[in-house]
Amino acid sequence: MTTVTAALEGYTQQLRNNRMGLWLFFISEAFLFGGLLVTRFYLWGNTRPELDQTIGLIVTGVLLLSSFSMNMAETAIEHGDRRTFLGGLAVTAVLGLVFLIGVMVFEWGLFPAIYEGHLKPGDNVYGAVVFAMTGMHALHVISGIIFIAIVWNLGRKGGFSPERHWGVESCAIYWHYVDVVWIFFYPALYLIGTVAH
Amino acid sequence: MPKSATDIRHFIIAGVLVAITTVLLDLLLKAILPMPVQGSHQAQVIDQLTSWHLTLIAFLFSLVVVIMLYSLFVFRKKDGDESEGAHFEGNTVLEIAWTVIPLIVVFVFGFFGVRALSDVTRAAPDEITVNVTGFQWSWLFEYPDSGVASNELVLPVDRAARMDMTSRDVIHSFWIPEMRVKQDLVPGMTTTLRFTPSVTGEYTVDCAELCGLSHYSMVAPVRIVEQAEYEQWLAERTAGTAPALAQTGDETDADTDVETDADAQSN
Amino acid sequence: MTLWSLGLVRGVVGQIVGFAAGMALVIASRLLFGFDPVWNQEPALVGGIIIGSIGFLIGVGALTDWFKWMRGIETPLHHGPPHGRPAWTRYFGVDYNHKVIGIQYGVTGIILLGIGGMFAVIFRTELAASGFQFLNPSNYNTYLSMHGWAALAAILLGIGGMANYLVPLMIGAEDMAFPRLNAFAFWINVPGIITLLMSLNYGWDGGWTVYPPLSVLGPVGYQFTFWAVFLIGLSSILGSLNLIVTILRMRPPGMSLFRMPIFVWAVFATSLIQLTATQFIGQAFLMLSFERLLGMGFFDPDKGGAPILFQHLFWFYSHPAVYIFVLPGLGIISEILPVFSRKPLFGYRWIALSSIAIALVGFLVWGHHMFTSGYGEYLRVPFMISTLLVAVPTGVKFFSWLGTMWGGKLSFPTPMLFVLGAISVFLIGGLSGPILATTATDLFLHDTYFVVGHFHATIFGGFVFPFFAAIYFWYPKITGRMYDETLGKIHFWLMTPAFWTMSLGQMSVGVMGMRRRIADYDPALGVEFGHVLVTIAGFTIAFSVLLMIYNLLHSAETGRVAGNNPWRSRSPEWQIPSPAPEHSYASPITVVGEPYDYGIPNSTYVHMAPLAAADD
Ligand code: HEA
Ligand code: HEA
Ligand code: CUA
Ligand SMILES: [Cu+2]
Repeated sequence: MTTVTAALEGYTQQLRNNRMGLWLFFISEAFLFGGLLVTRFYLWGNTRPELDQTIGLIVTGVLLLSSFSMNMAETAIEHGDRRTFLGGLAVTAVLGLVFLIGVMVFEWGLFPAIYEGHLKPGDNVYGAVVFAMTGMHALHVISGIIFIAIVWNLGRKGGFSPERHWGVESCAIYWHYVDVVWIFFYPALYLIGTVAH
Repeated sequence: MPKSATDIRHFIIAGVLVAITTVLLDLLLKAILPMPVQGSHQAQVIDQLTSWHLTLIAFLFSLVVVIMLYSLFVFRKKDGDESEGAHFEGNTVLEIAWTVIPLIVVFVFGFFGVRALSDVTRAAPDEITVNVTGFQWSWLFEYPDSGVASNELVLPVDRAARMDMTSRDVIHSFWIPEMRVKQDLVPGMTTTLRFTPSVTGEYTVDCAELCGLSHYSMVAPVRIVEQAEYEQWLAERTAGTAPALAQTGDETDADTDVETDADAQSN
Repeated sequence: MTLWSLGLVRGVVGQIVGFAAGMALVIASRLLFGFDPVWNQEPALVGGIIIGSIGFLIGVGALTDWFKWMRGIETPLHHGPPHGRPAWTRYFGVDYNHKVIGIQYGVTGIILLGIGGMFAVIFRTELAASGFQFLNPSNYNTYLSMHGWAALAAILLGIGGMANYLVPLMIGAEDMAFPRLNAFAFWINVPGIITLLMSLNYGWDGGWTVYPPLSVLGPVGYQFTFWAVFLIGLSSILGSLNLIVTILRMRPPGMSLFRMPIFVWAVFATSLIQLTATQFIGQAFLMLSFERLLGMGFFDPDKGGAPILFQHLFWFYSHPAVYIFVLPGLGIISEILPVFSRKPLFGYRWIALSSIAIALVGFLVWGHHMFTSGYGEYLRVPFMISTLLVAVPTGVKFFSWLGTMWGGKLSFPTPMLFVLGAISVFLIGGLSGPILATTATDLFLHDTYFVVGHFHATIFGGFVFPFFAAIYFWYPKITGRMYDETLGKIHFWLMTPAFWTMSLGQMSVGVMGMRRRIADYDPALGVEFGHVLVTIAGFTIAFSVLLMIYNLLHSAETGRVAGNNPWRSRSPEWQIPSPAPEHSYASPITVVGEPYDYGIPNSTYVHMAPLAAADD
């Protein structure tokens, strides 16, 4: 066996390990998010707080859009198209930021000068659970954005190739995963149950 | 001594030993079991179930330990013997047997467990209701029918009692060992515990859930008395001839207690 | 070599600096947002804990390679002792060899077990007589709670040690699938332990279960506990992820799942639990932390919260966790028993699958800790039945062990003694389980010392005894030398009767009406004699463990040279030199037989390709 094929074999081996590891991590995280959903249904039952439906719809749409741009970036690097790749990543990160800012300003009311939020974490269980769920999700969005920034920076410096781009692949799957979590959180927070007063 | 490990004589000897130990262990366990007085109807049910459990424990313990000790002595490696043991890798019939038989035992115990549980929680028609409040680190008993409040729990013998319980601060747990049954007191909700005292006497209700600094001393006196004495006690209380409620029953006092707790622990 | 070159030292410095920085950060941002920036306040301390832990990880160097990756720098996996420094220093810093990491886990586990045990003997001394001797209730509660978490964390480290050291060796893998993650998962424990010990300074009194509202009202020491457990839990998750990938993907040709050494099955089952359930305790403890920090009312009835919700979240992890504690230990028993019986493991497949069965059923039984909690009464029956069901796969293990011993050629060096001790001790632990599981009897026994006796027996039988057996058994492979057999036997003959006394003593005082977690008891109960016995037994156990530690340290220098395979085991790790070389297997191995075919002459389990680096 030549060293080149040996090295490649080592890489595909490692790649398979990496993929399995990432999916196991997602299974693990699913229990975390599942636990938050359990908390929500235990404490709220068939009620929900009064939240701003327009904002909810907008941020959800933004996050969904970002999945498309992420997918675009990944496909691009598979075909060696570095410009689209970097562009797609940048768009994704910006959409992620928009989502974050939307949540922070409008749902959390972090900047009362712009917008008075309607719930405080210490108010009651509604505030507590809203902040716990959006907070834990936001934490994942933030880490996703940092991840994108790192991948973007490496890609800019010429890293990744159509054959070798595990960094991009994992970043993309992670981002989709975080999106999917929101698909579960959004109805749990905004849609299910009757508004409690 | 039989030579082969599958010789039937091994199994007969071991089986006899298991049977003997089971009987002895069962007798021993039941003789020395230091249970508190059997003070309620619920206690009878629970003690009955306990005794079946003890028999099962005696049997299973003997089964495993006797066979193990038997192997240790009989199948010991002799000095200088470097040969290997007989090669058998398993036996599917045996494996299925010792999966299915325990499964049956489990369901039998499940059945008796469910029956005992419904026995000890069943409501009786003519219950005395007592509202129990726990707080750090004391108890308050209120008799809603007569408006009596007390730091001591007094109940008539042979009459079903029902505790409606709640807590003012943290979780506590109501337990009179002689009545066997136990139930937590949770702030923000009411929990219920039923028991029917069957022996008169003086007991204590102990807090069984860790509730902070003085959890160990969260104990209140309990008196199980004849019906007449109970009525007399209630009457005295309603007439106000009895001594006033001890200070700890007071709301404000309970709060000071909490603060002392925090003080004591933060330094 | 300077002290500074030790990763551990840099880590501790990093933690101190980080702690200060974290506190400063919180205080500064509180100033910024117009809060009252009082020194020593809870938020500042929590900030210190979090940033301090990150500081430790940066200081020790567990993140260095990843930081390089972020900047696009390749980092070859350096294997071997550090350059220009004595070889022992690698144990005090980040090292990617799974054998080093295994030892790091194991030794840290023993130290923590010692710390936890020390708390136990301290409060046991107090309990030997009624009345207060030298502890006050506040100290008592703190020490009791510390005993619980220190000992349980020690178990997690101990099984991490066994799994990391043994699994790659047993499946003939070069290393774990993710060596850097492996090192990270170990090192994150250390700031966790430091944080746990810091809680002593402030005290906390909730027991290891830290039920709210008590844990929300109590002193700030709780915060340290929450975050310590969070960090240690993170280690569990990452470590188990690594083990699962290693087991599923790094096996050599010929090693089908049903040809793995049985211990690997046990680790696999354990890892499934750790990977998933641990998230729940992490989440529950975070919720407690934030309820304290921000007044979030998850568990506060005044705000619509529910104290019982915490118990569900807590036990959804902590019940499966007790099977995390014992499954590897039961795997060790199944692993060592055939070697000293010189007979195949009886019913290999049944034992392997029973581990998985225990792990899976274990997810459905958490409510048996909450029979008296006030949750819906209809929940009691399903939890009763599911709990009883666990007895079935556990029984399969016991009976298969008997089948393994029956008709063997048994010999009794120290590891085998500990295995036999483990079986007998785990048996009483296990058998005291069903009586707790049938709800009616639990209404009596719940929160008494009977439960305390139950779980010390299961933990000692399922973890402590097998752990010690494993230490003695693989000691020659680790050090190349034999431990002192006489001292080992003395250890066993002191510890086993002492343990029986302790556990049975606890159960009997429990039945007499002794509640758990009380700093003082009423002499009228008549339990004083029992308590004296338990205390003496506790001291005896502690002394015997000290003997073991002495034995291990002493024999590493003076012990007889052990040779490759002193136990004549078939397992691959015994076919290589002792101590195991840096690269365990000089060339890849192939599996050509069954792992436990003792009694078939000339059969082997593994085929070692040209035995290059054989003995010396
Ligand atoms: C460390 C490991 C460990 C293990 C393995 C177990 C195993 C079991 N445990 Fe235990 N348990 C704990 C650790 C453990 N436990 C701890 C730490 C606590 C207290 C937590 C706290 O509150 O602080 C606790 C508490 C606890 C409770 C709650 C008590 C209370 O607080 O009121 C209950 C109740 O059901 C219970 C049940 C069981 C059962 C049924 C098993 C079963 O898995 C046992 C199965 C084994 C056998 C039964 C023996 C062998 C089997 C046979 C020989 C086959 C035939 C048997 C039959 C047919 C019965 N345990
Ligand atoms: C691994 C788990 C583990 C271990 C090993 C032990 C070991 C011991 N435990 Fe405990 N115990 C728990 C886990 C464990 N325990 C848990 C989870 C609780 C529940 C806590 C709660 O309620 O919240 C508990 C609670 C508990 C109680 C109940 C207290 C109460 O409810 O008020 C008691 C009382 O007797 C007790 C006693 C002991 C004793 C005497 C030992 C002895 O075996 C200890 C023997 C000593 C050692 C094993 C250490 C020996 C070594 C050295 C002294 C040398 C030091 C060396 C170095 C530092 C290198 N333990
Ligand atoms: Cu109240 Cu313990
Ligand atoms: Cu349990």
